[in-house]
Amino acid sequence: MSSSNIDRRDFLRVLGISGAAATLAGCGNTSIESGAELVESYVQPEDFVVPGVGVYYASTCTQCGSGCGIMGRVREGRILKLEGNPQSLISGGKICGLGQAGVQVHYNPDRLTTPMIREAGAFKPVSWDKAMATLTARLGSSSTLSGDQIAVLTGEISGHQKVLLGHFLESFKSANHIVYDALSPAIGQAANKAVLGVEQPVLQIDKARLILSFGNDFLGTGPSPVHMAAQYARFRKAPRGTLIQIEPRMTLTGANADRWYAIKPGTEGVFALGIAHSLLQHQEYAHAVPAEIAEALKQYDKDTVSEVTGIHADAISHIAGMLWEKSPSLVLSGPSAEGHVHGFNNAAAILLLNLVLENRGKTLQGQASHPFPQLTPASGSTTALAKLNQAMSAGQCQALLVMGANPVFTAPTFVPFASNLAKVPFKVAFATQLDETAHQCDLVLPLLSPMEDFGTHVAGYQPSGVELAIQQPLMERLYPETRGLGDILLDLLKQRQPEAYKAFPDYYAYIKTAVTKAKPVFKSKSSDDDFWEDALRNGVLRLEAPPAALEAHAATVKVGKPQALETDVNFPFFFVPSVRADLRDGRHANLPWLQESPDPLTTVVWDSWVEIHPTTAAQMQIREGDILEVQSATGSVRAKAYLFPGIQPDTVSMPLGQGHTGYGRYADGMGVNPFKIFDPMYDERTGELALYATRVIIKKTGEHARVVKDEGATNLQQGRKLVATMAADQAELAKEISRVTQ
Amino acid sequence: MKVRMKNILVWLSLLVLCGTATGEPFVQGGAIGSQTDDGYNALGPVVEQPIEFPHNTHAGQMGINCMYCHTYARRSAVSGIPRLDKCMGCHKLIESVKDKPRIKKLFEYWEKKEPIPWKKVHDLPDFVRFNHERHIQRFYFREDRPVREVCGYCHGDVASMTTARRVKALSMGWCVSCHQKDHLENAATTKTSNGPNDCWQCHK
Repeated sequence: MSSSNIDRRDFLRVLGISGAAATLAGCGNTSIESGAELVESYVQPEDFVVPGVGVYYASTCTQCGSGCGIMGRVREGRILKLEGNPQSLISGGKICGLGQAGVQVHYNPDRLTTPMIREAGAFKPVSWDKAMATLTARLGSSSTLSGDQIAVLTGEISGHQKVLLGHFLESFKSANHIVYDALSPAIGQAANKAVLGVEQPVLQIDKARLILSFGNDFLGTGPSPVHMAAQYARFRKAPRGTLIQIEPRMTLTGANADRWYAIKPGTEGVFALGIAHSLLQHQEYAHAVPAEIAEALKQYDKDTVSEVTGIHADAISHIAGMLWEKSPSLVLSGPSAEGHVHGFNNAAAILLLNLVLENRGKTLQGQASHPFPQLTPASGSTTALAKLNQAMSAGQCQALLVMGANPVFTAPTFVPFASNLAKVPFKVAFATQLDETAHQCDLVLPLLSPMEDFGTHVAGYQPSGVELAIQQPLMERLYPETRGLGDILLDLLKQRQPEAYKAFPDYYAYIKTAVTKAKPVFKSKSSDDDFWEDALRNGVLRLEAPPAALEAHAATVKVGKPQALETDVNFPFFFVPSVRADLRDGRHANLPWLQESPDPLTTVVWDSWVEIHPTTAAQMQIREGDILEVQSATGSVRAKAYLFPGIQPDTVSMPLGQGHTGYGRYADGMGVNPFKIFDPMYDERTGELALYATRVIIKKTGEHARVVKDEGATNLQQGRKLVATMAADQAELAKEISRVTQ
Repeated sequence: MKVRMKNILVWLSLLVLCGTATGEPFVQGGAIGSQTDDGYNALGPVVEQPIEFPHNTHAGQMGINCMYCHTYARRSAVSGIPRLDKCMGCHKLIESVKDKPRIKKLFEYWEKKEPIPWKKVHDLPDFVRFNHERHIQRFYFREDRPVREVCGYCHGDVASMTTARRVKALSMGWCVSCHQKDHLENAATTKTSNGPNDCWQCHK
């Protein structure tokens, strides 16, 4: 009998029955394997270590600059999950999705495990001794570099790492600490400084009855999203506060608003002055601004403003009425209002509304003065990078140290950072993982992950009093050949100034000494060791301090003639990049949890897309998934179309953060990088890059691909009216406020 | 010829099916002759350990409570293996057995500060979540039953063995058979209750 006697159908039938039998047998304990696994025990564990039971340690989140206190759940010596630390007023015991993904920085399979040196064009793993020898040969005690010959490029950095970096540069008689932030809030900060006298006022969202926000995404990408989300929750409790959002492309905050207006990008200042003009008609506001401003504001009648901004004329008196009714209010300017040639003026005009409405001291306050100004963060800007780029281009820079910044990825094409970087003879990257910039360096030093290192952090946005946040390891280092940035800096300083640093065997000893020295400021009576232990246990040192007063400089607001936007026949669309709360400027694209979490507005995952208004798409006969070429004067990218009603019809938008080419397996090849199509537009006042001022043209390529998203049906809300909405123009004012109709 | 072949195959598979589909596989299936003391053909293999630890001396002759060494069992889902300094806490002071080969080995591990690579004897599939703490708290602390009996429900009479060997089936039907029994709620009452019957209690 040969097997050919059984036909296929018989074979499958028999297979089906015996397969079922095998499956049933498998329901027993066939996977119990006595003696197959080791159950190693502890030799001498701490008393509180119980296998299977998690222990929480306090630390500080380093995913963004908010400085949230976190707690890490550690079990069997491994960090499993992060939570908020209730001792921290900034986080209030809560944590965001970006913070949750912090464990993936630590466990990332693309992490660097040994130092590497570039030899014949390729990286070669070397020992720490060799790496440090290479480093100290250039930057040790025998180094002849000084002044502008050496530069340190970082992202936002605070605490004692910043202090050590400063001392390191001082030892070269240099102050070249370049802080680069591709999404820098510098324009808004400059306007705050000019109008209110401080760079970053404290927003008391929960005290406001109405928030008028011009593109400020305080729930998603603001200076302290976790803290502000908690405040926002209180703001929405009875009596429910009203949120009005005005922006060209809907942000996460915009999606939460009661009223959302699509505005032509860059005309936010005109709209704000239109509201100011409308408010000044009321007797109680008539003397709120200097007479010449009041006079100039007369040009901002509602029809002119409506024509410039593209928002219905009635909306202006409508919003002014609501502002009048619901006091105190809070008026916020955001990146999409500030990233323009007149960005500073826009922000100043928006802030003027706060002065008219007398929100100072009610919903806007100054930050408490900081007892340790040397620890406060050096906030980043794009002008700093331009300066470094020039120095590199001129061949001034002989050695460059890079950490926490990736300008090869984020610098626009007209800042040829990558090619100028090649002119620097010695480039060192300090990183947990290779990125596009580290790939071009000569020496790469693998850092401990934030879950393995000690540190101190001070948030740039301190909601109340002052917090000094302590970071401590949540587990032993995964890779023996990694080291902390503080330890490396200390080693270099010991080479250069042995006397000053010989008392500190490591960075831990340094920050312990420094923090315990600050004991009198925190009015503690405990011993040094107890004070330090308490600081580690609580994860934060708090100092209550009264808020500072804000100044009022209404006269600094320039009120010119309302100018309509010029049309550009070659590039008819406004290009508004969107900043995702998770990927930010692309630094978190290596974390798969963030790649796979759907974008809150579109639900798209693992990709880039082009948002276009459905009406515009219909006119151009574009369907979802059509591959579009978005071309500006400087470059072009291609991505799938996504029809999105939350956008101004003459505007297209693309998310930033994707399009990596050298940032590990989870980031590379996902989407495209819109940083590379920005036009060279700068804010007139600050010289900062104007990120929202690019104009583009949309070309259909004829190709089509499916948009990978969680949304399901393409029609909004599954074809059901799950959340009732109406056009803002149709809303009746009388139903929203009472005072006006009396 | 073709028909006969087909019939044989179908009957063969049905036979296999009958043997396993009636419920608990190890009552009728399993290795023949490997019978556990409660009637399952599921006796575990003898597992050779790095040190032949004599449970019979410690728990049997000396009468040491199981939880003196297995201290995590009442506190955690896993009972864990005793920490090495636990062994040393006593054996540093017991001069009479210091020269025995097993104790010498123990001291070697201690001096190297290396954990002893014990092999796991009582294993469960990864999709089963068993909680030691719940069972110990219920039967030992609330019902006040003897510790050898309580641990023995799943581990057998380890106090009569040297190194442990699996003598219970630890299969789902075996677990359920105990969960279906009426157990006293505590030592002071005659009120009874059963173990949970929800899938998610163990499969989560």
